Amino acid sequence: MADPSDASPAGFDAELLLKQARAYLAFGKQIHQFTDRFQDSLEQEADWKTAARRQFEQFKDAITQSSEAPGVNTDLARLSTIMVDAWQQTALTLQLPIPAPTDRNSSAWLAYQQTQRQYFDLLQQAASAALDLMEQRLQEQATAGETINSLRELYNLWVACNEQTYGRMLRSAEYSELSGRLLNALLVCYPRRETA
Amino acid sequence: MINLSPTQIAEELRTFTGRLAQGAKTLGGLGEIETGVSPRDPVYQEDKLTLYRYQPRVAELHPIPLLIVYALVNRPYMMDLQDDRSLIRGLLDAGVDVYLIDWGYADADDQQLTLADYVHRYIGHCVDHLRESRQLAAINLLGVCQGGALSLCFAALYPEKIRNLVTMVTPVDFHTPDNLLTHLIRHIDIDLLVNTLGNVPGQVLNFAFLSLSPFRLAGQKYVDVVDILDDAVALKNFLRMEKWIFDSPDQAGEAFRQFAKDFFQQNKLVKNEVIIGERQVDLRQITMPVLNVYASQDHLVPPAASKALASCCGSGDYSELCFRGGHIGIYVSARAQQEVPSAIASWLLARQEPQKKKRKTAKRRVVRNP
Repeated sequence: MADPSDASPAGFDAELLLKQARAYLAFGKQIHQFTDRFQDSLEQEADWKTAARRQFEQFKDAITQSSEAPGVNTDLARLSTIMVDAWQQTALTLQLPIPAPTDRNSSAWLAYQQTQRQYFDLLQQAASAALDLMEQRLQEQATAGETINSLRELYNLWVACNEQTYGRMLRSAEYSELSGRLLNALLVCYPRRETA
Repeated sequence: MINLSPTQIAEELRTFTGRLAQGAKTLGGLGEIETGVSPRDPVYQEDKLTLYRYQPRVAELHPIPLLIVYALVNRPYMMDLQDDRSLIRGLLDAGVDVYLIDWGYADADDQQLTLADYVHRYIGHCVDHLRESRQLAAINLLGVCQGGALSLCFAALYPEKIRNLVTMVTPVDFHTPDNLLTHLIRHIDIDLLVNTLGNVPGQVLNFAFLSLSPFRLAGQKYVDVVDILDDAVALKNFLRMEKWIFDSPDQAGEAFRQFAKDFFQQNKLVKNEVIIGERQVDLRQITMPVLNVYASQDHLVPPAASKALASCCGSGDYSELCFRGGHIGIYVSARAQQEVPSAIASWLLARQEPQKKKRKTAKRRVVRNP
Protein backbone atom coordinates (compact mmCIF):
# COMPACT_ATOMS: atom_id res chain seq x y z
CA MET A 1 0.00 0.00 0.00
CA ALA A 2 1.24 3.52 -0.76
CA ASP A 3 2.09 5.52 2.30
CA PRO A 4 0.53 9.01 2.22
CA SER A 5 2.31 9.81 5.49
CA ASP A 6 5.51 10.20 3.46
CA ALA A 7 3.98 13.16 1.67
CA SER A 8 1.44 14.61 4.07
CA PRO A 9 1.25 18.37 4.54
CA ALA A 10 2.46 19.76 7.81
CA GLY A 11 -0.08 19.41 10.58
CA PHE A 12 -1.89 16.43 9.12
CA ASP A 13 -1.38 13.09 10.77
CA ALA A 14 -1.71 10.77 7.79
CA GLU A 15 -1.37 7.81 10.12
CA LEU A 16 -4.98 8.45 11.20
CA LEU A 17 -6.07 8.02 7.60
CA LEU A 18 -3.88 4.98 7.03
CA LYS A 19 -5.07 3.18 10.13
CA GLN A 20 -8.70 3.53 9.11
CA ALA A 21 -7.93 2.69 5.49
CA ARG A 22 -6.26 -0.54 6.64
CA ALA A 23 -9.21 -1.26 8.92
CA TYR A 24 -11.60 -0.73 6.01
CA LEU A 25 -9.58 -3.04 3.80
CA ALA A 26 -9.58 -5.66 6.54
CA PHE A 27 -13.35 -5.22 6.84
CA GLY A 28 -13.62 -5.71 3.08
CA LYS A 29 -11.52 -8.86 3.14
CA GLN A 30 -13.63 -10.24 5.95
CA ILE A 31 -16.81 -9.55 4.00
CA HIS A 32 -15.18 -11.08 0.95
CA GLN A 33 -14.58 -14.31 2.89
CA PHE A 34 -18.06 -14.11 4.32
CA THR A 35 -19.74 -13.84 0.91
CA ASP A 36 -17.48 -16.54 -0.49
CA ARG A 37 -18.43 -18.97 2.26
CA PHE A 38 -22.04 -17.90 2.09
CA GLN A 39 -22.22 -18.92 -1.57
CA ASP A 40 -20.92 -22.38 -0.60
CA SER A 41 -23.22 -22.80 2.36
CA LEU A 42 -26.23 -21.72 0.33
CA GLU A 43 -25.68 -24.75 -1.84
CA GLN A 44 -25.85 -26.98 1.26
CA GLU A 45 -28.57 -25.15 3.25
CA ALA A 46 -32.18 -25.15 2.19
CA ASP A 47 -32.91 -22.18 4.44
CA TRP A 48 -30.84 -19.12 3.44
CA LYS A 49 -31.68 -17.45 6.76
CA THR A 50 -30.00 -20.24 8.69
CA ALA A 51 -26.98 -20.02 6.42
CA ALA A 52 -26.84 -16.24 6.80
CA ARG A 53 -27.20 -16.52 10.56
CA ARG A 54 -24.30 -18.97 10.82
CA GLN A 55 -22.05 -16.90 8.60
CA PHE A 56 -22.91 -13.69 10.42
CA GLU A 57 -22.01 -15.27 13.76
CA GLN A 58 -18.58 -16.08 12.37
CA PHE A 59 -18.28 -12.54 11.05
CA LYS A 60 -19.16 -11.14 14.50
CA ASP A 61 -16.58 -13.34 16.18
CA ALA A 62 -13.92 -12.08 13.80
CA ILE A 63 -14.76 -8.42 14.08
CA THR A 64 -15.19 -8.18 17.86
CA GLN A 65 -11.90 -9.76 18.79
CA SER A 66 -9.93 -7.88 21.37
CA SER A 67 -6.95 -6.16 19.82
CA GLU A 68 -4.84 -7.96 22.41
CA ALA A 69 -6.15 -11.44 21.69
CA PRO A 70 -3.50 -13.87 20.42
CA GLY A 71 -3.33 -14.08 16.65
CA VAL A 72 -5.78 -11.22 16.22
CA ASN A 73 -6.07 -9.32 12.96
CA THR A 74 -5.16 -5.93 14.43
CA ASP A 75 -6.41 -3.96 11.44
CA LEU A 76 -9.81 -5.61 11.69
CA ALA A 77 -9.92 -5.26 15.46
CA ARG A 78 -9.22 -1.54 15.09
CA LEU A 79 -12.68 -1.07 13.60
CA SER A 80 -14.28 -1.70 16.96
CA THR A 81 -11.57 -0.35 19.21
CA ILE A 82 -11.51 3.26 18.06
CA MET A 83 -12.32 4.55 21.54
CA VAL A 84 -9.84 2.21 23.19
CA ASP A 85 -7.12 3.53 20.87
CA ALA A 86 -8.22 7.13 21.43
CA TRP A 87 -8.15 6.73 25.20
CA GLN A 88 -4.75 5.04 25.19
CA GLN A 89 -3.40 7.75 22.90
CA THR A 90 -4.75 10.46 25.20
CA ALA A 91 -3.31 8.79 28.28
CA LEU A 92 0.00 8.52 26.44
CA THR A 93 0.09 12.24 25.61
CA LEU A 94 -0.52 13.01 29.29
CA GLN A 95 2.82 11.34 29.89
CA LEU A 96 1.66 9.14 32.69
CA PRO A 97 4.79 7.98 34.46
CA ILE A 98 4.59 4.23 33.87
CA PRO A 99 5.50 2.66 37.18
CA ALA A 100 8.53 0.46 37.46
CA PRO A 101 7.64 -3.25 37.60
CA THR A 102 8.15 -3.19 41.36
CA ASP A 103 5.56 -0.42 41.76
CA ARG A 104 2.88 -1.96 39.60
CA ASN A 105 1.13 -3.36 42.64
CA SER A 106 0.49 0.10 44.03
CA SER A 107 -3.17 0.57 44.86
CA ALA A 108 -3.52 3.60 42.54
CA TRP A 109 -2.06 1.77 39.55
CA LEU A 110 -4.14 -1.35 40.18
CA ALA A 111 -7.30 0.74 40.59
CA TYR A 112 -6.59 2.49 37.28
CA GLN A 113 -6.01 -0.82 35.50
CA GLN A 114 -9.22 -2.23 36.92
CA THR A 115 -11.25 0.85 35.93
CA GLN A 116 -9.74 0.80 32.46
CA ARG A 117 -10.78 -2.84 32.07
CA GLN A 118 -14.34 -1.96 33.11
CA TYR A 119 -14.35 0.91 30.63
CA PHE A 120 -13.10 -1.25 27.77
CA ASP A 121 -15.65 -3.93 28.66
CA LEU A 122 -18.45 -1.38 28.40
CA LEU A 123 -17.17 -0.28 24.98
CA GLN A 124 -16.95 -3.91 23.91
CA GLN A 125 -20.58 -4.49 24.90
CA ALA A 126 -21.68 -1.58 22.74
CA ALA A 127 -19.61 -2.88 19.80
CA SER A 128 -21.12 -6.32 20.16
CA ALA A 129 -24.64 -4.87 20.40
CA ALA A 130 -23.91 -2.94 17.18
CA LEU A 131 -23.38 -6.19 15.29
CA ASP A 132 -26.64 -7.60 16.63
CA LEU A 133 -28.33 -4.42 15.47
CA MET A 134 -26.65 -4.69 12.08
CA GLU A 135 -27.90 -8.23 11.66
CA GLN A 136 -31.39 -7.09 12.61
CA ARG A 137 -31.24 -4.23 10.11
CA LEU A 138 -30.08 -6.56 7.34
CA GLN A 139 -32.96 -8.92 8.08
CA GLU A 140 -35.41 -6.02 8.04
CA GLN A 141 -34.01 -4.84 4.74
CA ALA A 142 -34.25 -8.34 3.29
CA THR A 143 -37.87 -8.58 4.40
CA ALA A 144 -38.57 -5.23 2.76
CA GLY A 145 -36.85 -6.37 -0.42
CA GLU A 146 -34.02 -3.85 -0.03
CA THR A 147 -30.45 -4.78 -0.76
CA ILE A 148 -26.94 -3.66 0.11
CA ASN A 149 -25.22 -3.18 -3.21
CA SER A 150 -21.69 -2.13 -2.29
CA LEU A 151 -19.06 -2.77 0.31
CA ARG A 152 -19.09 0.90 1.31
CA GLU A 153 -22.84 0.76 1.87
CA LEU A 154 -22.33 -2.19 4.20
CA TYR A 155 -19.52 -0.38 6.02
CA ASN A 156 -21.72 2.71 6.41
CA LEU A 157 -24.44 0.53 7.91
CA TRP A 158 -21.89 -0.92 10.33
CA VAL A 159 -20.84 2.64 11.32
CA ALA A 160 -24.46 3.74 11.78
CA CYS A 161 -25.21 0.73 14.00
CA ASN A 162 -22.11 1.37 16.10
CA GLU A 163 -22.98 5.03 16.51
CA GLN A 164 -26.46 4.04 17.62
CA THR A 165 -25.46 1.50 20.25
CA TYR A 166 -22.44 3.54 21.34
CA GLY A 167 -24.59 6.67 21.57
CA ARG A 168 -27.08 4.85 23.78
CA MET A 169 -24.24 3.74 26.04
CA LEU A 170 -22.69 7.24 26.02
CA ARG A 171 -25.92 8.76 27.30
CA SER A 172 -26.21 6.29 30.15
CA ALA A 173 -25.51 7.23 33.75
CA GLU A 174 -23.14 4.26 33.86
CA TYR A 175 -20.91 5.70 31.13
CA SER A 176 -20.88 9.15 32.70
CA GLU A 177 -19.80 7.70 36.02
CA LEU A 178 -17.30 5.22 34.60
CA SER A 179 -15.58 7.62 32.16
CA GLY A 180 -15.23 10.18 34.95
CA ARG A 181 -13.84 7.53 37.29
CA LEU A 182 -11.40 6.41 34.58
CA LEU A 183 -9.84 9.86 34.23
CA ASN A 184 -9.81 10.35 38.00
CA ALA A 185 -8.11 6.98 38.48
CA LEU A 186 -5.46 7.88 35.90
CA LEU A 187 -4.81 11.23 37.56
CA VAL A 188 -4.33 9.63 40.96
CA CYS A 189 -1.33 7.79 39.51
CA TYR A 190 0.47 11.10 38.92
CA PRO A 191 2.56 12.90 41.50
CA ARG A 192 0.67 15.88 43.00
CA ARG A 193 1.42 19.50 42.13
CA GLU A 194 1.13 22.48 44.39
CA THR A 195 -2.52 23.47 44.68
CA ALA A 196 -3.60 26.97 43.83
CA MET B 1 -29.96 -8.48 2.16
CA ILE B 2 -26.36 -8.30 1.04
CA ASN B 3 -26.25 -8.34 -2.72
CA LEU B 4 -22.48 -8.51 -3.07
CA SER B 5 -20.38 -11.03 -4.92
CA PRO B 6 -16.79 -11.80 -3.94
CA THR B 7 -15.71 -10.43 -7.31
CA GLN B 8 -17.49 -7.14 -6.75
CA ILE B 9 -15.94 -6.76 -3.29
CA ALA B 10 -12.49 -7.50 -4.65
CA GLU B 11 -13.01 -4.83 -7.31
CA GLU B 12 -14.13 -2.26 -4.72
CA LEU B 13 -11.07 -3.00 -2.62
CA ARG B 14 -8.80 -2.65 -5.64
CA THR B 15 -10.32 0.75 -6.44
CA PHE B 16 -9.94 1.86 -2.83
CA THR B 17 -6.29 0.82 -2.73
CA GLY B 18 -5.65 2.59 -6.02
CA ARG B 19 -7.12 5.83 -4.73
CA LEU B 20 -5.03 5.54 -1.61
CA ALA B 21 -1.89 5.21 -3.72
CA GLN B 22 -2.92 8.22 -5.80
CA GLY B 23 -3.47 10.10 -2.54
CA ALA B 24 0.20 10.00 -1.68
CA LYS B 25 0.92 11.99 -4.85
CA THR B 26 -1.86 14.51 -4.22
CA LEU B 27 -0.83 15.05 -0.60
CA GLY B 28 2.75 15.56 -1.68
CA GLY B 29 1.76 18.43 -3.93
CA LEU B 30 -0.45 20.32 -1.55
CA GLY B 31 2.14 22.23 0.43
CA GLU B 32 1.18 24.18 3.53
CA ILE B 33 -2.47 24.28 4.57
CA GLU B 34 -3.34 27.91 5.11
CA THR B 35 -6.14 29.12 7.33
CA GLY B 36 -7.34 32.56 8.27
CA VAL B 37 -7.63 34.16 4.87
CA SER B 38 -8.84 37.73 5.44
CA PRO B 39 -6.15 40.41 5.84
CA ARG B 40 -6.00 41.84 9.36
CA ASP B 41 -3.77 44.03 11.48
CA PRO B 42 -2.87 43.73 15.16
CA VAL B 43 -4.11 46.79 17.06
CA TYR B 44 -3.58 45.76 20.68
CA GLN B 45 -1.55 43.13 22.52
CA GLU B 46 -1.43 41.97 26.10
CA ASP B 47 0.37 38.86 27.31
CA LYS B 48 -0.49 36.19 24.71
CA LEU B 49 -3.62 37.96 23.55
CA THR B 50 -3.71 39.85 20.24
CA LEU B 51 -6.59 42.05 19.18
CA TYR B 52 -6.92 42.17 15.40
CA ARG B 53 -8.81 44.52 13.16
CA TYR B 54 -9.87 43.02 9.82
CA GLN B 55 -9.28 45.22 6.81
CA PRO B 56 -12.59 46.60 5.56
CA ARG B 57 -13.89 45.39 2.21
CA VAL B 58 -16.45 48.13 1.61
CA ALA B 59 -16.15 51.92 1.64
CA GLU B 60 -19.00 52.63 4.00
CA LEU B 61 -18.62 50.91 7.36
CA HIS B 62 -21.07 50.52 10.21
CA PRO B 63 -20.13 53.21 12.72
CA ILE B 64 -20.01 50.85 15.71
CA PRO B 65 -17.24 48.25 15.59
CA LEU B 66 -17.96 44.61 16.37
CA LEU B 67 -15.63 42.74 18.72
CA ILE B 68 -15.64 38.95 18.33
CA VAL B 69 -14.80 36.91 21.43
CA TYR B 70 -14.05 33.34 20.44
CA ALA B 71 -13.88 30.28 22.71
CA LEU B 72 -10.70 29.43 24.58
CA VAL B 73 -10.88 25.77 23.60
CA ASN B 74 -10.26 26.11 19.87
CA ARG B 75 -8.58 28.51 17.50
CA PRO B 76 -10.62 31.39 16.07
CA TYR B 77 -9.64 30.91 12.43
CA MET B 78 -12.72 28.72 12.12
CA MET B 79 -14.50 32.06 11.63
CA ASP B 80 -12.30 32.79 8.60
CA LEU B 81 -11.32 29.35 7.37
CA GLN B 82 -11.04 29.91 3.62
CA ASP B 83 -12.21 32.30 0.92
CA ASP B 84 -15.62 30.77 0.43
CA ARG B 85 -16.11 29.73 4.06
CA SER B 86 -15.65 32.79 6.20
CA LEU B 87 -18.25 34.37 8.45
CA ILE B 88 -15.81 37.21 9.02
CA ARG B 89 -15.61 37.91 5.31
CA GLY B 90 -19.41 37.86 5.16
CA LEU B 91 -19.58 40.43 7.95
CA LEU B 92 -16.93 42.57 6.25
CA ASP B 93 -18.82 42.43 2.96
CA ALA B 94 -21.93 43.58 4.81
CA GLY B 95 -20.06 46.63 6.08
CA VAL B 96 -19.33 45.51 9.63
CA ASP B 97 -16.08 46.81 11.15
CA VAL B 98 -14.74 43.55 12.60
CA TYR B 99 -12.28 43.07 15.45
CA LEU B 100 -11.32 39.69 16.92
CA ILE B 101 -9.54 38.55 20.07
CA ASP B 102 -6.98 35.84 19.40
CA TRP B 103 -6.20 34.30 22.78
CA GLY B 104 -2.99 32.66 21.62
CA TYR B 105 -1.75 29.45 23.24
CA ALA B 106 -1.71 29.22 27.02
CA ASP B 107 1.45 27.72 28.50
CA ALA B 108 2.91 27.07 31.93
CA ASP B 109 3.13 30.82 32.62
CA ASP B 110 -0.66 31.05 32.33
CA GLN B 111 -1.69 28.37 34.84
CA GLN B 112 -2.84 30.94 37.36
CA LEU B 113 -4.99 32.95 34.93
CA THR B 114 -8.55 33.03 36.20
CA LEU B 115 -11.85 33.83 34.56
CA ALA B 116 -11.49 37.25 36.18
CA ASP B 117 -8.35 37.76 34.09
CA TYR B 118 -10.15 36.74 30.93
CA VAL B 119 -13.34 38.75 31.56
CA HIS B 120 -12.38 41.85 33.54
CA ARG B 121 -8.87 42.24 32.23
CA TYR B 122 -8.52 40.80 28.73
CA ILE B 123 -12.01 41.36 27.31
CA GLY B 124 -12.27 44.55 29.36
CA HIS B 125 -9.05 45.97 27.99
CA CYS B 126 -9.98 45.12 24.40
CA VAL B 127 -13.41 46.70 24.81
CA ASP B 128 -11.86 49.79 26.38
CA HIS B 129 -9.24 49.99 23.66
CA LEU B 130 -11.98 50.12 21.02
CA ARG B 131 -14.13 52.54 23.00
CA GLU B 132 -11.20 54.89 23.44
CA SER B 133 -9.73 54.61 19.96
CA ARG B 134 -13.14 55.06 18.35
CA GLN B 135 -14.36 57.57 20.94
CA LEU B 136 -17.48 55.58 21.66
CA ALA B 137 -19.28 54.94 24.92
CA ALA B 138 -20.16 51.41 23.88
CA ILE B 139 -19.33 48.89 21.15
CA ASN B 140 -20.96 45.78 19.71
CA LEU B 141 -19.90 42.41 21.09
CA LEU B 142 -20.21 38.97 19.45
CA GLY B 143 -19.38 35.95 21.62
CA VAL B 144 -18.94 32.50 20.14
CA CYS B 145 -19.61 29.26 22.07
CA GLN B 146 -17.57 29.43 25.29
CA GLY B 147 -16.61 32.96 24.21
CA GLY B 148 -20.32 33.69 24.22
CA ALA B 149 -20.57 32.65 27.87
CA LEU B 150 -17.63 34.92 28.68
CA SER B 151 -19.29 37.72 26.69
CA LEU B 152 -22.51 37.26 28.65
CA CYS B 153 -20.50 37.65 31.85
CA PHE B 154 -18.84 40.80 30.54
CA ALA B 155 -22.08 42.31 29.24
CA ALA B 156 -23.78 41.62 32.58
CA LEU B 157 -20.92 43.19 34.52
CA TYR B 158 -20.38 46.18 32.19
CA PRO B 159 -23.70 46.76 30.39
CA GLU B 160 -22.84 50.40 29.78
CA LYS B 161 -19.94 49.40 27.53
CA ILE B 162 -21.91 47.17 25.17
CA ARG B 163 -24.27 48.66 22.62
CA ASN B 164 -25.55 45.38 21.16
CA LEU B 165 -24.76 41.79 22.12
CA VAL B 166 -24.72 38.85 19.71
CA THR B 167 -24.26 35.34 21.07
CA MET B 168 -23.52 32.42 18.73
CA VAL B 169 -24.00 28.77 19.73
CA THR B 170 -23.59 29.87 23.32
CA PRO B 171 -24.48 27.68 26.29
CA VAL B 172 -26.46 29.41 29.02
CA ASP B 173 -28.27 26.56 30.74
CA PHE B 174 -25.64 23.83 31.02
CA HIS B 175 -28.03 21.29 32.54
CA THR B 176 -30.51 20.67 29.76
CA PRO B 177 -31.06 16.92 29.48
CA ASP B 178 -29.38 16.68 26.06
CA ASN B 179 -26.09 18.32 27.06
CA LEU B 180 -23.55 15.58 26.41
CA LEU B 181 -20.51 17.59 27.46
CA THR B 182 -22.03 18.16 30.89
CA HIS B 183 -22.85 14.46 31.00
CA LEU B 184 -19.19 13.63 30.34
CA ILE B 185 -17.74 16.11 32.81
CA ARG B 186 -20.20 15.46 35.62
CA HIS B 187 -18.09 12.88 37.48
CA ILE B 188 -14.65 14.26 36.73
CA ASP B 189 -12.80 15.53 39.76
CA ILE B 190 -11.90 18.94 38.35
CA ASP B 191 -9.72 19.90 41.30
CA LEU B 192 -7.76 16.67 40.91
CA LEU B 193 -7.42 17.32 37.17
CA VAL B 194 -6.10 20.88 37.54
CA ASN B 195 -4.02 20.19 40.63
CA THR B 196 -2.40 17.26 38.83
CA LEU B 197 -1.80 18.65 35.36
CA GLY B 198 -1.71 22.42 35.89
CA ASN B 199 -3.00 23.49 32.51
CA VAL B 200 -5.49 21.13 30.92
CA PRO B 201 -3.99 19.70 27.71
CA GLY B 202 -5.88 20.24 24.47
CA GLN B 203 -5.66 16.48 23.83
CA VAL B 204 -7.97 15.82 26.79
CA LEU B 205 -10.59 18.11 25.31
CA ASN B 206 -10.10 16.55 21.88
CA PHE B 207 -10.75 13.13 23.39
CA ALA B 208 -13.97 14.44 24.92
CA PHE B 209 -15.18 15.86 21.59
CA LEU B 210 -14.17 12.72 19.69
CA SER B 211 -15.93 10.50 22.20
CA LEU B 212 -19.28 12.03 21.23
CA SER B 213 -19.24 10.29 17.85
CA PRO B 214 -16.08 8.20 17.47
CA PHE B 215 -17.08 5.89 14.65
CA ARG B 216 -17.86 8.81 12.38
CA LEU B 217 -15.18 11.24 13.56
CA ALA B 218 -12.26 8.84 13.88
CA GLY B 219 -13.30 6.11 11.45
CA GLN B 220 -15.75 6.79 8.65
CA LYS B 221 -14.39 10.27 7.98
CA TYR B 222 -10.99 8.88 6.99
CA VAL B 223 -12.48 6.14 4.83
CA ASP B 224 -14.63 8.72 3.03
CA VAL B 225 -11.70 11.04 2.42
CA VAL B 226 -10.08 8.38 0.24
CA ASP B 227 -12.79 9.22 -2.31
CA ILE B 228 -11.41 12.74 -2.70
CA LEU B 229 -7.69 12.02 -2.52
CA ASP B 230 -7.39 12.84 -6.22
CA ASP B 231 -9.13 16.21 -5.82
CA ALA B 232 -6.63 18.77 -4.54
CA VAL B 233 -9.25 21.45 -3.80
CA ALA B 234 -11.58 19.14 -1.88
CA LEU B 235 -8.63 17.62 -0.06
CA LYS B 236 -7.35 21.02 1.00
CA ASN B 237 -10.78 21.84 2.39
CA PHE B 238 -10.70 18.61 4.37
CA LEU B 239 -7.19 19.26 5.66
CA ARG B 240 -8.07 22.79 6.79
CA MET B 241 -10.79 21.34 8.94
CA GLU B 242 -8.45 18.64 10.24
CA LYS B 243 -5.91 21.27 11.15
CA TRP B 244 -8.51 23.22 13.10
CA ILE B 245 -9.86 20.15 14.89
CA PHE B 246 -6.46 19.15 16.21
CA ASP B 247 -5.24 22.69 16.86
CA SER B 248 -6.50 22.68 20.45
CA PRO B 249 -4.76 25.04 22.85
CA ASP B 250 -4.10 23.92 26.39
CA GLN B 251 -6.45 25.53 28.89
CA ALA B 252 -5.16 27.79 31.64
CA GLY B 253 -5.68 25.68 34.77
CA GLU B 254 -7.45 28.09 37.10
CA ALA B 255 -9.78 29.48 34.46
CA PHE B 256 -10.66 25.92 33.41
CA ARG B 257 -11.27 24.98 37.04
CA GLN B 258 -13.90 27.67 37.48
CA PHE B 259 -15.50 27.22 34.07
CA ALA B 260 -15.81 23.44 34.47
CA LYS B 261 -17.10 23.57 38.02
CA ASP B 262 -19.28 26.69 38.02
CA PHE B 263 -20.67 26.53 34.52
CA PHE B 264 -20.76 22.83 33.62
CA GLN B 265 -21.05 21.03 36.92
CA GLN B 266 -23.03 23.53 39.00
CA ASN B 267 -24.84 25.46 36.26
CA LYS B 268 -24.34 28.74 38.04
CA LEU B 269 -24.60 31.04 35.00
CA VAL B 270 -28.29 30.55 34.48
CA LYS B 271 -28.86 30.84 38.23
CA ASN B 272 -27.01 34.18 38.41
CA GLU B 273 -24.54 32.68 40.88
CA VAL B 274 -21.28 33.00 38.94
CA ILE B 275 -18.73 35.19 40.70
CA ILE B 276 -16.04 36.73 38.48
CA GLY B 277 -13.38 38.51 40.48
CA GLU B 278 -15.64 39.13 43.46
CA ARG B 279 -18.48 40.46 41.30
CA GLN B 280 -21.66 38.50 40.79
CA VAL B 281 -22.80 37.90 37.21
CA ASP B 282 -26.49 38.72 37.04
CA LEU B 283 -27.81 38.08 33.53
CA ARG B 284 -30.73 40.39 34.26
CA GLN B 285 -28.23 43.24 33.91
CA ILE B 286 -27.97 42.45 30.20
CA THR B 287 -30.35 45.19 29.11
CA MET B 288 -28.88 45.99 25.70
CA PRO B 289 -30.39 44.45 22.54
CA VAL B 290 -29.49 40.77 22.23
CA LEU B 291 -29.37 38.54 19.16
CA ASN B 292 -29.02 34.90 20.15
CA VAL B 293 -27.90 32.70 17.23
CA TYR B 294 -28.11 28.96 17.75
CA ALA B 295 -27.95 25.85 15.55
CA SER B 296 -30.92 23.50 15.48
CA GLN B 297 -28.72 20.38 15.17
CA ASP B 298 -25.96 21.43 17.52
CA HIS B 299 -24.60 18.34 19.31
CA LEU B 300 -22.23 20.33 21.53
CA VAL B 301 -24.46 23.21 22.58
CA PRO B 302 -28.04 21.98 22.29
CA PRO B 303 -30.56 24.62 21.20
CA ALA B 304 -32.29 24.48 24.58
CA ALA B 305 -29.02 25.35 26.30
CA SER B 306 -28.77 28.53 24.21
CA LYS B 307 -32.42 29.48 24.16
CA ALA B 308 -32.48 29.60 27.95
CA LEU B 309 -31.09 33.12 27.55
CA ALA B 310 -34.54 34.37 26.51
CA SER B 311 -35.96 33.93 29.96
CA CYS B 312 -33.01 35.06 32.05
CA CYS B 313 -31.50 38.12 30.38
CA GLY B 314 -32.91 41.59 31.05
CA SER B 315 -33.04 42.83 27.48
CA GLY B 316 -36.24 44.39 26.21
CA ASP B 317 -35.07 43.72 22.64
CA TYR B 318 -34.23 40.03 22.45
CA SER B 319 -34.16 38.17 19.14
CA GLU B 320 -33.25 34.64 18.14
CA LEU B 321 -31.83 33.34 14.90
CA CYS B 322 -32.15 29.60 14.39
CA PHE B 323 -29.65 28.21 11.90
CA ARG B 324 -30.64 24.86 10.41
CA GLY B 325 -27.39 23.00 10.91
CA GLY B 326 -24.82 21.96 13.46
CA HIS B 327 -22.15 23.47 15.67
CA ILE B 328 -19.53 23.46 12.91
CA GLY B 329 -21.88 23.97 9.98
CA ILE B 330 -22.86 27.35 11.38
CA TYR B 331 -19.34 28.57 10.51
CA VAL B 332 -18.43 26.69 7.38
CA SER B 333 -21.48 25.44 5.50
CA ALA B 334 -22.52 27.10 2.27
CA ARG B 335 -25.90 27.98 3.77
CA ALA B 336 -24.28 29.61 6.78
CA GLN B 337 -22.31 31.93 4.48
CA GLN B 338 -25.57 33.05 2.88
CA GLU B 339 -27.69 33.34 6.00
CA VAL B 340 -25.69 34.10 9.13
CA PRO B 341 -23.42 37.12 8.49
CA SER B 342 -26.08 39.04 6.58
CA ALA B 343 -28.64 38.43 9.34
CA ILE B 344 -26.20 39.58 12.03
CA ALA B 345 -25.19 42.65 10.00
CA SER B 346 -28.81 43.63 9.33
CA TRP B 347 -29.71 43.17 12.97
CA LEU B 348 -26.74 45.33 14.04
CA LEU B 349 -27.41 47.97 11.39
CA ALA B 350 -30.98 48.37 12.62
CA ARG B 351 -29.61 49.06 16.11
CA GLN B 352 -26.68 51.34 15.49
CA GLU B 353 -28.34 54.37 17.01
CA PRO B 354 -28.02 54.67 20.80
CA GLN B 355 -30.86 52.80 22.45
CA LYS B 356 -33.20 54.41 24.88
CA LYS B 357 -33.09 52.52 28.13
CA LYS B 358 -35.73 49.85 28.09
CA ARG B 359 -37.12 48.10 31.09
CA LYS B 360 -37.81 44.44 31.13
CA THR B 361 -41.55 43.90 31.15
CA ALA B 362 -43.84 40.94 31.02
CA LYS B 363 -44.64 41.84 27.41
CA ARG B 364 -40.98 41.90 26.40
CA ARG B 365 -40.54 41.46 22.66
CA VAL B 366 -38.94 38.20 21.59
CA VAL B 367 -38.33 37.99 17.88
CA ARG B 368 -37.37 34.72 16.26
CA ASN B 369 -35.39 34.64 13.00
CA PRO B 370 -35.54 38.43 12.46
